[in-house]
Amino acid sequence: MRWVRFAIFVCVVTLVQASVLDVIAVTALRIGPDLLLILLVFFAVYFNTTEAVIAAFTVGFAADLVVGVMGPRTISFGMFGTALAYLNRVIAVRQKPYQSLAIFAVGILAGLVGHILSLLKSQPVASNILARIFWTSLYSAAIGPFLFLPCAWWMRIKTHRFNR
Amino acid sequence: MAGKQIKVSRRMLFTWCMLGGFILLLSPGSLTSKLPLAFARVFGFPLRVGRSISLSVNSQQPGPGGADGMEVQYQNYIANLEAELEQERRKVEKLSGLRSRRPLEGANLVFADVIKASVSGFQSELIINRGRRDGLARGQFVLGDNSIIGTVATVDTSTASVRLITDPASRIEVTIADTSRIMQGAGGNSAKVEMLSTEHKIKLGQRVYAKKKPGLLDVAMIAGKVSQCKVDGAQPLLWDVTVEPACNMETLSSVAVIIMNSQKGSKR
Repeated sequence: MRWVRFAIFVCVVTLVQASVLDVIAVTALRIGPDLLLILLVFFAVYFNTTEAVIAAFTVGFAADLVVGVMGPRTISFGMFGTALAYLNRVIAVRQKPYQSLAIFAVGILAGLVGHILSLLKSQPVASNILARIFWTSLYSAAIGPFLFLPCAWWMRIKTHRFNR
Repeated sequence: MAGKQIKVSRRMLFTWCMLGGFILLLSPGSLTSKLPLAFARVFGFPLRVGRSISLSVNSQQPGPGGADGMEVQYQNYIANLEAELEQERRKVEKLSGLRSRRPLEGANLVFADVIKASVSGFQSELIINRGRRDGLARGQFVLGDNSIIGTVATVDTSTASVRLITDPASRIEVTIADTSRIMQGAGGNSAKVEMLSTEHKIKLGQRVYAKKKPGLLDVAMIAGKVSQCKVDGAQPLLWDVTVEPACNMETLSSVAVIIMNSQKGSKR
């Protein structure tokens, strides 16, 4: 892992997620893709397990900074990013449909766990939170695999390489 | 010793990271809420650039009711004048002609730029470039396009977060149909007025005013308009009233914080 590139990349994606992503939000719920979720799956799929664990918690921390409530996403992203990295050692997630499925599943699970942890922190939540989690995960799953290529280019890795 | 590499097992790494996450989760909100503010302060410039790009793209979208930005401002201004007039009329009736000073006359309006806006996400909040050193404090009301858009939630030295009226954690007292009720944010771009009996006549588009609060707001000011009103399915004697903000909060680039009883007296 090129850690300087990783740090710059996470910072840039966090800033994009926090500021410009509303541009491509759709429907009355203003649903947009979760770039940090896509990034989480990218690191879990293309890097070795130790690097994926560190990346998952870092991306989760960045997601907390974007939302403004510290803790829930650090834990949920870290947990499911690590789980996906371990799963990737058994079943390599290389084809786009499987990558989409992985983004969708991690999005739903991390969203639900993050929601429950937010409740633990006595954070009131929107009434349509489940619909929001579902559609955000679906939107991210739809565009995620296509963003893996520029991610791989920036991180200087070969996407056809198996690295467990 | 210098070249010694510390080896940590994956399990230990995961455990330490989880522990860090739980420390963040269980730490008091007053401590952890400073982290997003610090992030907004450090990356203020790129966040502002990103927001201006977002605003320029969204500028084509019409405001509530299809009105553009200036028209919304004028409509809200007129609504506030009407509320002010009504309040003054009542005072005149009560005090037999004795006049007091104008509402918001002693208030200091601190204008602030929006650094970061999370209007459509899980939380509805703005981060602004004014803080404690500008006189901001928790609970102060915030104006956008002449309407109440929220209250100051957390304050740092030079930044603050504004909890919008649509945030699920927001609960403000409002006046609707000549009665006072609590309005709670419902996420997205709406809020709900609670415990409103079906005896009250509610119309679509009816104005909802943030109630005056001594020390924080001298006069009722428009906060939103009724966008949906139906009988509550669970409690048939109550209305289920949905309120949409009086301005398009996604396109706000600057806001004003109302500081009542300011020592400065001058407007920034």
